[in-house]
Amino acid sequence: MRVAALKRPTSRDGLLASLSALLVLLVLFMEELAPLFQALFPELGNPVYRRESFLQLTLDHLLLVLVSSLISVSVGVGAGLFVTRRSGREFEPMVSSLAAIGQTFPPAAVLAIVVPLAGFGFVPTIVALTLYGLLPVVQNTIAGLGTVPPAALEAARGIGMTRGQILRRVELPMAMRVIIAGVRVSVIINIGTATIGSTVGAQSLGTPIIAGLVGNNIAYVIQGAVLVGLLAIVSDLIFERLERRFTFGD
Amino acid sequence: MIELQGLTKIYGDKTVVDDISLRVDSGEFGVLIGPSGCGKSTTLRMINRLIPATHGRILLGDDDVTQLPVEQLRRRIGYAIQSIGLFPHWSVAENIAVVPGLLKWPKSRIDERVDELMGLFHLDVGELRDKYPHQLSGGQAQRVGVARALAADPEVLLMDEPFGAVDPLTREVLQDELLRVHQHTRKTIVFVTHDMDEALKLASRIALLNTGRLVQYDRPIELLTRPADDFVRSFIGKADLGLKLLSRRWVHQYQQHATLQGSPAASTQAGYTWEVDATGRPTCLHGGRLHAEDRQQHTEVTQEWSATPDMTMKEALSRMVWFRVMVLPVIDGEGRLIGEVTMHGVMGQQPCA
Ligand SMILES: Nc1ncnc2c1ncn2[C@@H]1O[C@H](COP(=O)(O)OP(=O)(O)O)[C@@H](O)[C@H]1O
Ligand SMILES: [Mg+2]
Repeated sequence: MRVAALKRPTSRDGLLASLSALLVLLVLFMEELAPLFQALFPELGNPVYRRESFLQLTLDHLLLVLVSSLISVSVGVGAGLFVTRRSGREFEPMVSSLAAIGQTFPPAAVLAIVVPLAGFGFVPTIVALTLYGLLPVVQNTIAGLGTVPPAALEAARGIGMTRGQILRRVELPMAMRVIIAGVRVSVIINIGTATIGSTVGAQSLGTPIIAGLVGNNIAYVIQGAVLVGLLAIVSDLIFERLERRFTFGD
Repeated sequence: MIELQGLTKIYGDKTVVDDISLRVDSGEFGVLIGPSGCGKSTTLRMINRLIPATHGRILLGDDDVTQLPVEQLRRRIGYAIQSIGLFPHWSVAENIAVVPGLLKWPKSRIDERVDELMGLFHLDVGELRDKYPHQLSGGQAQRVGVARALAADPEVLLMDEPFGAVDPLTREVLQDELLRVHQHTRKTIVFVTHDMDEALKLASRIALLNTGRLVQYDRPIELLTRPADDFVRSFIGKADLGLKLLSRRWVHQYQQHATLQGSPAASTQAGYTWEVDATGRPTCLHGGRLHAEDRQQHTEVTQEWSATPDMTMKEALSRMVWFRVMVLPVIDGEGRLIGEVTMHGVMGQQPCA
């Protein structure tokens, strides 16, 4: 499928490149900043978090986000598709409110419920993140499919496309920009939220933050938080580029 | 060939299309016309089964449309609508190519076909092939819509008020193009409109509907001269009935012999005489103006006040009135004088067939 590539100012691409570089450098060489943190916080014995490498923590963090987002997106887009088909239309209010509940339910509360059932670690964190990230995907899938002009649908039917062809060739490509916007919100939220996984033993960039909060080491908190923040901004910029690729006209 | 047999559509207790039977033969240009809400679109959309019929049968050639797989049926029938419905994420070429693509034509044949259709509709291939719908004018978009409907060379073309949303000038041009394409391809067309002038201009047969019922199905000239009832009469409109009649008559039907200045006949006949140049193009008319003095009776011929054989008599008459002459030269493709049409002719004469 070809899409219209519209020319827009590319200063954001420069921003993306430099922030990505900064992120990689910090992940790999946080150690080198030990003198800086020592100077800032002279009272600390250990100015840089060393229990796990930041590379390992970042990869663990990304894995949490990736797995939960993959589930959110498959379930969310699937549910959005289902309730916009003729056979599933009646379920739309129910699915929308379920997704809304998923998001209003605090992830910490989800952890409190899931940990006794599924134990500590990776699984309860994934459950919490998945539920939390579902709403924007469902909402935007429904909204995106709703932006497809009725005339295009009528033409697609009148021309002799099957329902599957209409979905794959007409509806999804036209809804894609809005759906991606939903995935973007979901992923960004979960990059931040994944840090709480560390409270139940899922290793992530939240681990140094928690360690810092518990051990009164503000440098650890900063190191974890800066990486999480950078990760979120870089992902956001990547999604922004992706969305632009699916913009046709106005 | 399309044949409707007792076609009926009922929503709840409301009969929207009521027992319509009619036949549009191969190569004919059939127009469904009637007031808004009379069931034109519903009838049209039952043909390609976008709406299921309640009773009755529709035959496409020898096939009952309900016996064919619905997608296969629709790929045999072109469909163009007022809102066009181009796919905004596809280029012009991709939009036109959609049905051949569904039918799995080879790529080279599809490309050829796209270029051919763009040429047919005067769409500049170099400029527009890779443009997107939002970059097109209304007229261009509608041309692409009709080209898309014709792309896989369907047996039948269904059109639902396709020119209803474009400006009057563009509409005229699109109508002319559609007529040309129809003459060129001899497609069977079923065309919905609520505009009588459009129907008279395009149709070889007009079906007039009222509240779901078929009131009259006839050739345009018969609809005008032999309306079935008062509804038909009032729908046609009495005010410019004469002009509507002339819009279905052509200059070649009224064309008379033109007398050249200086020929033997010029002195014996009281009529008008023409001067022509060496190539046979008319340059000057002698006579032909009412209440004008003798010296004003030499009228220079310009392109605007000549007629061509395929012009409607309505337009010819309009030119006579506008330029205040009693006669127009009829010229051929090279601009040579081949005859004349006169005000007397319009008034007095039955057209030859
Ligand atoms: N789905 C429907 N349910 C009930 N009535 C309908 C439906 N679709 C169309 N109608 C009615 O059928 C009549 C004919 O509609 P239509 O064929 O669209 O008219 P038109 O001649 O203007 O194209 C209208 O009165 C319209 O209100
Ligand atoms: Mg209609």
